[in-house]
Amino acid sequence: MAKLNRRTLLGGSLAATLAAPAVNAQGGKPYNGVTINASCFQTTYYEYLKNYFPQFQEKTGIKVNFTMQAFPVYNQRTDLELSTKGSAMDVCNVTFIYSGRWIGAGWMTPLDPFFKDAKYTPADWDPDDFVSGAQSAMKNAKGETFAFTHEAGAMLNIASRYDLIEKAGLKMPETFDDLVKVCDAIDGKDGVKAFVADKLHHWNWIPYLMGNGGSVFKAPPENLTPTFASPEGVAAAEWYANLLMKYGPDGQLSYSDDQAMRAQMSGRANMRTQAITWGVPLVKDATSKVAATTRFALMPAGPKGNFPGSNSHGLGIPAGSKKKEAAWEFIKWAFSKETMNMIVEKHGYPSVCRTSVIKSPKFKEVMTLNGQDVAALYLEVLQLGGKTGYMKYRTVPVFPQVGDKINRAIDKIATKQQAAPEAMKQAQTEAVQDLQKAGFKVDP
Amino acid sequence: MTSRGARLSMNVFAAVLAVLALSPFLWLLVMSFKTNAEIFRFPPRLFFPVTFDNYAALWETDFRTSFANSLVVSVSSTVVSLAIGVPAAYALSRWTGSGGAAITLWILASRMAPPIAFTIPYFLAYRYLELLDTLTGLVVIYLTFNLSLVIWMMRPFYDQLPRSLEEAAWIDGATRWQGFTRIILPLSGPGLAATAILCFLFAWNDFFFALILTRTEAMTAPVAVVNFMNYEGWEWGRIAAGGTMIMLPVLVFSFVVRRYLVSGLTGGAIKG
Repeated sequence: MAKLNRRTLLGGSLAATLAAPAVNAQGGKPYNGVTINASCFQTTYYEYLKNYFPQFQEKTGIKVNFTMQAFPVYNQRTDLELSTKGSAMDVCNVTFIYSGRWIGAGWMTPLDPFFKDAKYTPADWDPDDFVSGAQSAMKNAKGETFAFTHEAGAMLNIASRYDLIEKAGLKMPETFDDLVKVCDAIDGKDGVKAFVADKLHHWNWIPYLMGNGGSVFKAPPENLTPTFASPEGVAAAEWYANLLMKYGPDGQLSYSDDQAMRAQMSGRANMRTQAITWGVPLVKDATSKVAATTRFALMPAGPKGNFPGSNSHGLGIPAGSKKKEAAWEFIKWAFSKETMNMIVEKHGYPSVCRTSVIKSPKFKEVMTLNGQDVAALYLEVLQLGGKTGYMKYRTVPVFPQVGDKINRAIDKIATKQQAAPEAMKQAQTEAVQDLQKAGFKVDP
Repeated sequence: MTSRGARLSMNVFAAVLAVLALSPFLWLLVMSFKTNAEIFRFPPRLFFPVTFDNYAALWETDFRTSFANSLVVSVSSTVVSLAIGVPAAYALSRWTGSGGAAITLWILASRMAPPIAFTIPYFLAYRYLELLDTLTGLVVIYLTFNLSLVIWMMRPFYDQLPRSLEEAAWIDGATRWQGFTRIILPLSGPGLAATAILCFLFAWNDFFFALILTRTEAMTAPVAVVNFMNYEGWEWGRIAAGGTMIMLPVLVFSFVVRRYLVSGLTGGAIKG
């Protein structure tokens, strides 16, 4: 038996550190000296995570050159980089609205060979722990996975001045009819407009379209024939445009996400149906005037059901990367249960996608806002999207172009430039042209 | 109405127009001295507590590097464009052969299509040449676009200068180069100033090529400002402060050369 002394003890500790789980199943530092380039749009998860990169480097030997850019800048640059099969990036964010395009075109690497192989990934990393609704956008039709998610958006109804709703003797609306009823009762009270939305109608309006029985495409992703100009679609567009114009603040048709949030935060507008990412700051931001009066509820349901929007963003490996194994080591570490729990515990990150983390007491504590268990609402919406797959419309490759047509149509209806049937019909015709140009077959 | 009254009305009208034209800039400037809460106060207050935090924050971020990148790239591309383009314009002006007009027309080729048409070729070529995310790469891009501007702006200046001036210098023993540098060039000061400012503006204000061809090292100020639009919220104060900073060098530069600007822009318009 070897003699126990200081040197063997130190050696043993070092070996144990190198063989740490979720870093490198083989032990040692086979990646010593390797530098990987990773990129994402600016989001708080990586603002927090980059503080721990030295620990990752210490464990694996991999140096991470991580860059973050504004959302539109990132998407533009990455789309170009991926489309030319470049090797400049080893890890990149798979943006929700581009996931269909990037995955469908073969620009991303399937991750199944990594996470299904014990050589690369220990079983306790648990890929099934990621919420199915968030992960569905990161898979292709064959079910292969191309990214793991770090950020999910779950659409809720967020009221910044719930006190006004209570004062009117009402509660958070549960149906579209309730929503109008509540808006009627509170609009203009205390100088607060009843409703606000940003200009991305292709995200905000779709739950109202679906709740009314309409759909964007016939049967995505197989049949992408646009169907949003159906009678249900026209009625939903007219109803939504009226909601915006009657109960929204002036100028909201040009509002960005942030402007709509600021309108709520400054107490100028009350309800908004939007992803939770834009609701949490109403309670937590130091400059918020509505921190104590904000309440959350599920998105109101329409006659045909409840279809709250959900989205997700994940990290994947570009097809052109020459350091795929090292890239997987990074993804594995960044999204391990340990790392995600740490980010929630130390920084209060609200948009995680691992079920075990969402159900943890710490996350519940972080997401208990004004006494409400918002974590439960968040998980409910994410799971809803995964169960029925109604969000598939959004990850088809041509959705960005089709979405633009929807945005313009709603604007035209709201500003009364065009009647709803004509505006929707025109938008649908243009969408069909876009699809045909992109080589998709549409039903006659 | 007396002529004095008419002049007064015209001046008032001009002042109102100037305020209207400058109002977006004034709004941006005022916004840059407000806190985020003050920016979204409704209705906005005329008098508010002024903060310099947004400018201080710019200094603490990578924006200062991007600002320096913008200065280096814009000044370099302007100087190189003038250094190559001005003699070229002079040569084309004095060309007596038949190909001069055709060559001048082909020089405009880089301006014959929208920049997006050149995106993929430039991107691929730059990746191959390892010029992506380098200041040199940006200088070269701006040079290719500015050269045609320099030649097309300067050639009419030289066309209107009588050849007898340089011929007199040659008779006195000057070489062709000396005739150009000592006689012709000093006479084209206004044109050079106007051309320089347009070249500088093109490079300084460019967003598209800087977006596509840079990452972090060579990122310029216009792209850096967009980076204040975070996914979870925009930093309005910093965006305004960054926007103001971007406008500042152009204002200073224009102010310095304003004396030459009008005559420079119209100098070659009427030959005679």
